[in-house]
Amino acid sequence: MGVTCVCPVPVAEGKSVQQTVDILHKKLEQLGAVKQGSFCVDCETYQSTGNPGGQPSKLLYVMHNSEVPLSCMALFEGGPCLTADANFDVLMVKLKSHFQNAKGHKVECRGSRYRYCDFLIKVGTVTMSSSARGISVEVEYCPCVVPGDCWNLMREFMQSFLGNNVPELPTVFAAKPEGLFAPADCVDTMTQYLELFNKLRKLQIPASNVR
Amino acid sequence: MEAPPVTVMPITSGTINMMEYLLQGSVLDAALESLLHRLRGLCDNMEPETFTDHELVYLLKGQQGNPFILRARRSLSHPTAPWHLRYLGQPEVGDKSRHALVRNCVDVAASHSLPDFLNEMGFRMDHEFVTSGHIFRKGAMKVVVCNVSRVLVPGNTENTERMSLSHLVELSVLAPAGQDTVSEDMRSFAEQLRPLIHLEKIDPSKQRH
Repeated sequence: MGVTCVCPVPVAEGKSVQQTVDILHKKLEQLGAVKQGSFCVDCETYQSTGNPGGQPSKLLYVMHNSEVPLSCMALFEGGPCLTADANFDVLMVKLKSHFQNAKGHKVECRGSRYRYCDFLIKVGTVTMSSSARGISVEVEYCPCVVPGDCWNLMREFMQSFLGNNVPELPTVFAAKPEGLFAPADCVDTMTQYLELFNKLRKLQIPASNVR
Repeated sequence: MEAPPVTVMPITSGTINMMEYLLQGSVLDAALESLLHRLRGLCDNMEPETFTDHELVYLLKGQQGNPFILRARRSLSHPTAPWHLRYLGQPEVGDKSRHALVRNCVDVAASHSLPDFLNEMGFRMDHEFVTSGHIFRKGAMKVVVCNVSRVLVPGNTENTERMSLSHLVELSVLAPAGQDTVSEDMRSFAEQLRPLIHLEKIDPSKQRH
Protein backbone atom coordinates (compact mmCIF):
# COMPACT_ATOMS: atom_id res chain seq x y z
CA MET A 1 0.00 0.00 0.00
CA GLY A 2 1.06 3.54 -0.64
CA VAL A 3 0.73 6.50 1.67
CA THR A 4 -2.93 6.78 2.64
CA CYS A 5 -4.84 9.60 4.24
CA VAL A 6 -8.36 9.27 5.64
CA CYS A 7 -10.33 12.39 6.54
CA PRO A 8 -13.86 13.47 7.32
CA VAL A 9 -15.74 15.77 4.96
CA PRO A 10 -18.40 18.02 6.47
CA VAL A 11 -21.88 17.83 4.97
CA ALA A 12 -22.38 20.82 2.64
CA GLU A 13 -24.68 23.48 3.98
CA GLY A 14 -28.31 22.89 3.13
CA LYS A 15 -27.48 19.49 1.62
CA SER A 16 -27.98 15.92 2.84
CA VAL A 17 -25.19 13.36 3.26
CA GLN A 18 -26.13 11.71 -0.04
CA GLN A 19 -26.23 15.02 -1.93
CA THR A 20 -22.79 15.97 -0.59
CA VAL A 21 -21.43 12.57 -1.68
CA ASP A 22 -22.91 13.09 -5.15
CA ILE A 23 -21.21 16.49 -5.39
CA LEU A 24 -17.85 14.87 -4.51
CA HIS A 25 -18.39 12.14 -7.12
CA LYS A 26 -19.18 14.79 -9.74
CA LYS A 27 -16.04 16.76 -8.90
CA LEU A 28 -13.87 13.63 -9.14
CA GLU A 29 -15.40 12.67 -12.48
CA GLN A 30 -14.82 16.19 -13.80
CA LEU A 31 -11.15 15.83 -12.83
CA GLY A 32 -10.98 12.68 -14.94
CA ALA A 33 -11.12 10.09 -12.19
CA VAL A 34 -12.61 6.75 -13.22
CA LYS A 35 -15.01 4.82 -11.04
CA GLN A 36 -13.70 1.37 -10.21
CA GLY A 37 -16.22 -0.50 -8.13
CA SER A 38 -17.06 0.01 -4.51
CA PHE A 39 -15.45 -0.44 -1.12
CA CYS A 40 -16.43 -1.18 2.45
CA VAL A 41 -14.70 -0.71 5.81
CA ASP A 42 -16.42 -1.96 8.94
CA CYS A 43 -15.67 -1.89 12.64
CA GLU A 44 -17.06 -3.93 15.53
CA THR A 45 -16.49 -2.93 19.14
CA TYR A 46 -15.83 -5.43 21.90
CA GLN A 47 -15.75 -4.81 25.60
CA SER A 48 -13.86 -6.97 28.06
CA THR A 49 -16.20 -8.54 30.62
CA GLY A 50 -13.56 -9.50 33.15
CA ASN A 51 -11.72 -6.76 34.95
CA PRO A 52 -8.75 -8.41 36.60
CA GLY A 53 -6.66 -5.50 37.86
CA GLY A 54 -9.65 -3.28 38.61
CA GLN A 55 -8.53 -0.88 35.89
CA PRO A 56 -11.15 0.33 33.40
CA SER A 57 -11.36 -2.13 30.52
CA LYS A 58 -10.11 -0.98 27.14
CA LEU A 59 -12.23 -1.34 24.06
CA LEU A 60 -11.13 -3.80 21.41
CA TYR A 61 -11.96 -2.94 17.82
CA VAL A 62 -12.14 -5.55 15.07
CA MET A 63 -12.12 -4.10 11.56
CA HIS A 64 -12.31 -5.27 7.95
CA ASN A 65 -11.40 -3.54 4.73
CA SER A 66 -12.55 -4.70 1.29
CA GLU A 67 -9.12 -3.72 -0.04
CA VAL A 68 -7.68 -6.66 1.95
CA PRO A 69 -10.71 -8.97 1.94
CA LEU A 70 -9.08 -11.98 3.61
CA SER A 71 -7.66 -10.04 6.53
CA CYS A 72 -9.03 -8.84 9.78
CA MET A 73 -7.48 -6.05 11.81
CA ALA A 74 -7.80 -5.92 15.58
CA LEU A 75 -6.84 -2.73 17.38
CA PHE A 76 -6.74 -1.17 20.80
CA GLU A 77 -6.98 2.59 20.78
CA GLY A 78 -3.42 3.83 21.04
CA GLY A 79 -2.24 0.28 21.66
CA PRO A 80 -0.95 -2.68 19.71
CA CYS A 81 -2.58 -3.67 16.41
CA LEU A 82 -2.89 -7.17 15.09
CA THR A 83 -3.32 -8.20 11.48
CA ALA A 84 -4.86 -11.65 11.26
CA ASP A 85 -6.81 -13.76 8.81
CA ALA A 86 -10.59 -13.90 8.75
CA ASN A 87 -10.67 -16.72 11.30
CA PHE A 88 -10.03 -14.09 13.96
CA ASP A 89 -13.76 -13.34 13.74
CA VAL A 90 -14.51 -16.96 14.59
CA LEU A 91 -12.15 -16.70 17.54
CA MET A 92 -13.99 -13.63 18.83
CA VAL A 93 -17.18 -15.71 18.87
CA LYS A 94 -15.38 -18.30 21.02
CA LEU A 95 -14.23 -15.49 23.30
CA LYS A 96 -17.71 -14.09 23.80
CA SER A 97 -17.76 -14.84 27.51
CA HIS A 98 -14.67 -12.64 27.91
CA PHE A 99 -15.29 -10.03 25.21
CA GLN A 100 -18.80 -8.81 24.57
CA ASN A 101 -19.74 -7.44 21.19
CA ALA A 102 -21.29 -4.01 21.63
CA LYS A 103 -23.79 -4.58 18.82
CA GLY A 104 -25.11 -1.03 18.70
CA HIS A 105 -21.58 0.24 18.07
CA LYS A 106 -21.12 -1.38 14.68
CA VAL A 107 -19.87 1.17 12.19
CA GLU A 108 -19.78 0.76 8.43
CA CYS A 109 -18.33 2.93 5.76
CA ARG A 110 -19.43 2.16 2.20
CA GLY A 111 -19.01 3.98 -1.03
CA SER A 112 -17.36 4.21 -4.43
CA ARG A 113 -13.78 3.69 -5.34
CA TYR A 114 -12.22 5.97 -7.94
CA ARG A 115 -8.89 5.89 -9.69
CA TYR A 116 -7.08 8.92 -10.94
CA CYS A 117 -3.60 8.15 -12.34
CA ASP A 118 -1.54 7.08 -9.31
CA PHE A 119 -4.23 8.01 -6.81
CA LEU A 120 -6.98 5.85 -5.37
CA ILE A 121 -9.88 7.79 -3.94
CA LYS A 122 -12.68 6.33 -1.84
CA VAL A 123 -15.68 8.41 -0.89
CA GLY A 124 -17.73 6.69 1.79
CA THR A 125 -20.84 7.21 3.84
CA VAL A 126 -20.30 6.33 7.48
CA THR A 127 -23.32 4.65 9.04
CA MET A 128 -23.91 3.71 12.67
CA SER A 129 -26.95 1.61 13.55
CA SER A 130 -28.38 2.32 10.07
CA SER A 131 -28.21 6.11 10.30
CA ALA A 132 -25.78 8.08 8.14
CA ARG A 133 -23.39 9.90 10.43
CA GLY A 134 -20.88 11.46 8.09
CA ILE A 135 -18.71 11.28 5.01
CA SER A 136 -15.18 9.98 4.71
CA VAL A 137 -12.62 10.44 1.99
CA GLU A 138 -9.62 8.15 1.68
CA VAL A 139 -6.83 9.09 -0.69
CA GLU A 140 -3.96 6.75 -1.43
CA TYR A 141 -0.90 7.70 -3.41
CA CYS A 142 0.13 4.27 -4.64
CA PRO A 143 3.76 4.71 -5.76
CA CYS A 144 5.18 6.07 -2.49
CA VAL A 145 5.53 4.75 1.06
CA VAL A 146 7.26 7.72 2.67
CA PRO A 147 4.67 10.30 3.81
CA GLY A 148 7.19 13.13 4.02
CA ASP A 149 8.06 12.68 0.33
CA CYS A 150 4.55 12.92 -1.08
CA TRP A 151 2.42 14.74 1.46
CA ASN A 152 2.53 18.07 -0.38
CA LEU A 153 1.53 16.40 -3.63
CA MET A 154 -1.35 14.60 -1.92
CA ARG A 155 -2.46 17.84 -0.28
CA GLU A 156 -2.53 19.61 -3.59
CA PHE A 157 -4.47 16.80 -5.21
CA MET A 158 -6.98 16.71 -2.38
CA GLN A 159 -7.42 20.46 -2.61
CA SER A 160 -8.65 20.03 -6.17
CA PHE A 161 -11.85 18.31 -5.05
CA LEU A 162 -12.06 18.99 -1.30
CA GLY A 163 -11.30 22.72 -1.40
CA ASN A 164 -10.80 24.02 2.11
CA ASN A 165 -11.48 20.70 3.77
CA VAL A 166 -7.97 19.36 3.19
CA PRO A 167 -6.70 17.73 6.39
CA GLU A 168 -3.38 18.14 8.16
CA LEU A 169 -0.78 15.35 7.97
CA PRO A 170 -2.45 12.39 9.76
CA THR A 171 -1.17 11.89 13.30
CA VAL A 172 -0.22 8.25 12.58
CA PHE A 173 2.53 9.61 10.33
CA ALA A 174 3.44 12.64 12.42
CA ALA A 175 4.03 10.38 15.43
CA LYS A 176 6.55 8.23 13.56
CA PRO A 177 10.23 9.11 13.62
CA GLU A 178 11.14 10.08 10.04
CA GLY A 179 7.73 8.58 9.27
CA LEU A 180 8.24 5.44 7.25
CA PHE A 181 4.85 4.05 6.33
CA ALA A 182 4.16 0.53 7.54
CA PRO A 183 4.33 -1.23 4.18
CA ALA A 184 2.18 -4.08 2.93
CA ASP A 185 -0.40 -3.88 5.68
CA CYS A 186 -3.10 -1.35 6.22
CA VAL A 187 -2.89 -0.85 9.96
CA ASP A 188 -2.10 2.87 9.56
CA THR A 189 -5.14 3.27 7.33
CA MET A 190 -7.37 1.39 9.76
CA THR A 191 -6.09 3.50 12.67
CA GLN A 192 -7.18 6.58 10.75
CA TYR A 193 -10.62 5.09 10.04
CA LEU A 194 -10.98 4.22 13.72
CA GLU A 195 -10.13 7.79 14.75
CA LEU A 196 -12.66 9.09 12.27
CA PHE A 197 -15.38 6.67 13.44
CA ASN A 198 -14.82 7.60 17.08
CA LYS A 199 -14.96 11.30 16.22
CA LEU A 200 -18.24 10.83 14.33
CA ARG A 201 -19.70 8.69 17.10
CA LYS A 202 -19.33 11.57 19.54
CA LEU A 203 -20.89 14.08 17.15
CA GLN A 204 -24.52 15.05 17.50
CA ILE A 205 -26.06 14.80 14.06
CA PRO A 206 -28.92 17.14 13.20
CA ALA A 207 -32.09 15.17 12.60
CA SER A 208 -32.37 16.30 8.96
CA ASN A 209 -29.28 14.28 8.01
CA VAL A 210 -30.49 11.02 9.46
CA ARG A 211 -31.82 8.72 6.79
CA MET B 1 2.60 2.73 -11.22
CA GLU B 2 -0.87 1.33 -11.68
CA ALA B 3 -3.36 1.34 -8.87
CA PRO B 4 -4.10 -2.11 -7.48
CA PRO B 5 -7.00 -3.86 -9.23
CA VAL B 6 -10.53 -3.61 -7.97
CA THR B 7 -11.30 -6.24 -5.42
CA VAL B 8 -14.34 -8.26 -6.23
CA MET B 9 -14.15 -10.65 -3.30
CA PRO B 10 -16.64 -10.09 -0.52
CA ILE B 11 -15.34 -9.70 2.99
CA THR B 12 -15.40 -13.19 4.42
CA SER B 13 -15.94 -13.89 8.04
CA GLY B 14 -13.86 -16.98 8.58
CA THR B 15 -14.37 -20.66 8.06
CA ILE B 16 -17.22 -22.72 9.37
CA ASN B 17 -17.06 -24.92 12.42
CA MET B 18 -13.85 -26.92 11.95
CA MET B 19 -12.98 -29.97 14.03
CA GLU B 20 -9.63 -31.52 14.69
CA TYR B 21 -9.53 -35.31 14.66
CA LEU B 22 -6.49 -36.48 16.59
CA LEU B 23 -4.56 -39.61 17.47
CA GLN B 24 -1.40 -39.49 19.52
CA GLY B 25 1.47 -41.73 20.48
CA SER B 26 5.15 -41.65 21.19
CA VAL B 27 8.19 -43.48 19.96
CA LEU B 28 11.60 -43.91 21.59
CA ASP B 29 14.45 -42.10 19.87
CA ALA B 30 16.03 -45.47 19.10
CA ALA B 31 13.05 -46.43 16.92
CA LEU B 32 12.70 -43.03 15.28
CA GLU B 33 14.54 -43.87 12.07
CA SER B 34 12.42 -46.94 11.34
CA LEU B 35 9.24 -44.95 11.91
CA LEU B 36 10.40 -42.16 9.61
CA HIS B 37 11.33 -44.76 7.02
CA ARG B 38 7.87 -46.31 7.23
CA LEU B 39 6.19 -42.91 7.01
CA ARG B 40 8.21 -41.97 3.94
CA GLY B 41 6.91 -45.09 2.30
CA LEU B 42 3.28 -44.68 3.31
CA CYS B 43 2.77 -40.94 2.92
CA ASP B 44 2.39 -38.71 -0.09
CA ASN B 45 5.52 -38.37 -2.13
CA MET B 46 6.87 -35.02 -1.12
CA GLU B 47 10.08 -33.33 -0.16
CA PRO B 48 10.97 -34.21 3.42
CA GLU B 49 9.81 -31.31 5.55
CA THR B 50 11.28 -30.46 8.92
CA PHE B 51 10.32 -27.75 11.36
CA THR B 52 11.36 -26.05 14.59
CA ASP B 53 8.57 -24.19 16.34
CA HIS B 54 8.30 -22.16 19.50
CA GLU B 55 4.91 -22.47 21.18
CA LEU B 56 3.60 -20.18 23.89
CA VAL B 57 0.49 -21.15 25.79
CA TYR B 58 -1.61 -18.21 26.99
CA LEU B 59 -4.36 -18.17 29.59
CA LEU B 60 -7.15 -15.68 30.06
CA LYS B 61 -8.69 -15.97 33.49
CA GLY B 62 -12.27 -14.81 33.86
CA GLN B 63 -14.24 -14.23 37.02
CA GLN B 64 -15.52 -17.77 36.92
CA GLY B 65 -14.98 -21.08 35.21
CA ASN B 66 -11.94 -22.46 33.49
CA PRO B 67 -9.37 -20.15 31.96
CA PHE B 68 -9.56 -19.59 28.20
CA ILE B 69 -6.51 -21.13 26.53
CA LEU B 70 -4.85 -19.97 23.31
CA ARG B 71 -1.70 -21.33 21.72
CA ALA B 72 0.61 -19.02 19.82
CA ARG B 73 3.22 -20.65 17.63
CA ARG B 74 6.01 -19.23 15.56
CA SER B 75 8.50 -20.92 13.32
CA LEU B 76 12.13 -20.61 14.39
CA SER B 77 13.31 -21.87 11.01
CA HIS B 78 11.22 -19.28 9.11
CA PRO B 79 11.31 -16.23 11.39
CA THR B 80 9.48 -13.98 8.91
CA ALA B 81 6.50 -16.32 8.54
CA PRO B 82 3.27 -15.24 10.27
CA TRP B 83 2.50 -16.44 13.78
CA HIS B 84 -0.05 -19.18 14.18
CA LEU B 85 -2.73 -18.72 16.83
CA ARG B 86 -4.82 -21.72 17.77
CA TYR B 87 -7.90 -22.31 19.87
CA LEU B 88 -8.74 -25.88 20.82
CA GLY B 89 -12.10 -26.72 22.35
CA GLN B 90 -12.94 -29.41 24.88
CA PRO B 91 -12.85 -32.93 23.40
CA GLU B 92 -16.28 -34.13 22.35
CA VAL B 93 -17.63 -36.81 24.62
CA GLY B 94 -20.15 -38.21 22.15
CA ASP B 95 -19.66 -41.50 20.40
CA LYS B 96 -17.42 -43.99 22.20
CA SER B 97 -17.00 -46.04 19.03
CA ARG B 98 -15.36 -43.12 17.25
CA HIS B 99 -11.69 -43.87 16.75
CA ALA B 100 -10.19 -40.42 17.19
CA LEU B 101 -10.36 -37.59 19.65
CA VAL B 102 -12.54 -34.83 18.21
CA ARG B 103 -12.35 -31.22 19.29
CA ASN B 104 -13.28 -27.83 17.93
CA CYS B 105 -10.36 -25.98 16.41
CA VAL B 106 -9.83 -22.41 15.20
CA ASP B 107 -6.58 -21.60 13.38
CA VAL B 108 -5.65 -17.99 12.82
CA ALA B 109 -2.61 -16.64 11.01
CA ALA B 110 -1.47 -13.46 12.73
CA SER B 111 1.13 -10.74 12.51
CA HIS B 112 4.22 -10.57 14.71
CA SER B 113 2.55 -8.24 17.17
CA LEU B 114 0.60 -11.23 18.50
CA PRO B 115 2.32 -11.58 21.94
CA ASP B 116 1.89 -7.85 22.69
CA PHE B 117 -1.68 -8.00 21.50
CA LEU B 118 -2.58 -11.02 23.62
CA ASN B 119 -1.08 -9.30 26.66
CA GLU B 120 -3.21 -6.24 25.99
CA MET B 121 -6.28 -8.49 25.77
CA GLY B 122 -5.51 -9.71 29.27
CA PHE B 123 -3.93 -13.05 28.34
CA ARG B 124 -0.89 -14.15 30.34
CA MET B 125 1.76 -16.56 29.11
CA ASP B 126 1.54 -19.76 31.14
CA HIS B 127 4.28 -21.92 29.66
CA GLU B 128 6.35 -22.26 26.52
CA PHE B 129 8.25 -24.99 24.72
CA VAL B 130 10.12 -25.72 21.53
CA THR B 131 9.18 -28.56 19.21
CA SER B 132 11.31 -29.81 16.41
CA GLY B 133 10.73 -32.61 13.96
CA HIS B 134 9.22 -33.84 10.71
CA ILE B 135 5.90 -33.39 8.92
CA PHE B 136 4.30 -35.91 6.59
CA ARG B 137 1.04 -35.76 4.71
CA LYS B 138 -1.27 -38.33 3.28
CA GLY B 139 -4.25 -36.71 1.62
CA ALA B 140 -5.94 -34.66 4.28
CA MET B 141 -4.06 -36.44 7.05
CA LYS B 142 -1.10 -34.81 8.71
CA VAL B 143 1.54 -36.71 10.64
CA VAL B 144 3.87 -34.78 12.90
CA VAL B 145 6.84 -36.51 14.53
CA CYS B 146 8.65 -34.20 16.92
CA ASN B 147 10.60 -33.89 20.11
CA VAL B 148 9.56 -31.43 22.77
CA SER B 149 12.03 -29.29 24.72
CA ARG B 150 11.44 -27.06 27.67
CA VAL B 151 12.68 -23.49 27.54
CA LEU B 152 15.10 -23.01 30.44
CA VAL B 153 15.27 -19.21 30.41
CA PRO B 154 11.90 -17.58 29.56
CA GLY B 155 11.87 -16.32 25.99
CA ASN B 156 15.28 -17.74 25.11
CA THR B 157 14.76 -20.48 22.55
CA GLU B 158 18.49 -21.14 22.20
CA ASN B 159 18.68 -22.54 25.69
CA THR B 160 16.45 -25.61 25.81
CA GLU B 161 16.40 -29.07 27.31
CA ARG B 162 14.73 -32.18 25.85
CA MET B 163 11.73 -33.28 27.89
CA SER B 164 12.30 -36.99 27.25
CA LEU B 165 14.18 -39.46 25.13
CA SER B 166 11.20 -40.02 22.89
CA HIS B 167 9.37 -38.35 20.05
CA LEU B 168 5.73 -37.32 20.09
CA VAL B 169 3.73 -38.58 17.11
CA GLU B 170 0.44 -36.95 16.17
CA LEU B 171 -1.91 -37.94 13.38
CA SER B 172 -4.51 -35.27 12.73
CA VAL B 173 -7.12 -34.14 10.23
CA LEU B 174 -9.04 -30.90 10.08
CA ALA B 175 -12.59 -31.36 8.81
CA PRO B 176 -16.00 -29.76 9.18
CA ALA B 177 -18.08 -31.09 12.06
CA GLY B 178 -19.85 -34.38 11.50
CA GLN B 179 -17.46 -35.99 9.00
CA ASP B 180 -16.91 -39.09 11.04
CA THR B 181 -15.62 -41.20 8.16
CA VAL B 182 -12.39 -39.26 8.70
CA SER B 183 -11.71 -41.14 11.91
CA GLU B 184 -12.11 -44.45 10.01
CA ASP B 185 -9.38 -43.44 7.56
CA MET B 186 -7.16 -42.42 10.45
CA ARG B 187 -7.68 -45.73 12.19
CA SER B 188 -6.70 -47.75 9.14
CA PHE B 189 -3.65 -45.56 8.60
CA ALA B 190 -2.65 -45.97 12.25
CA GLU B 191 -3.03 -49.75 11.82
CA GLN B 192 -0.35 -49.67 9.13
CA LEU B 193 2.12 -48.10 11.53
CA ARG B 194 1.83 -50.92 14.03
CA PRO B 195 3.80 -52.35 15.73
CA LEU B 196 6.28 -49.48 15.38
CA ILE B 197 3.85 -47.19 17.12
CA HIS B 198 0.42 -47.43 18.70
CA LEU B 199 -1.54 -44.27 17.98
CA GLU B 200 -4.35 -43.77 20.43
CA LYS B 201 -7.19 -41.50 21.32
CA ILE B 202 -5.85 -39.65 24.36
CA ASP B 203 -8.03 -37.22 26.26
CA PRO B 204 -5.76 -34.34 27.33
CA SER B 205 -8.13 -33.30 30.11
CA LYS B 206 -7.48 -36.66 31.83
CA GLN B 207 -3.71 -36.09 31.72
CA ARG B 208 -3.71 -33.02 33.91
CA HIS B 209 -2.35 -33.51 37.38
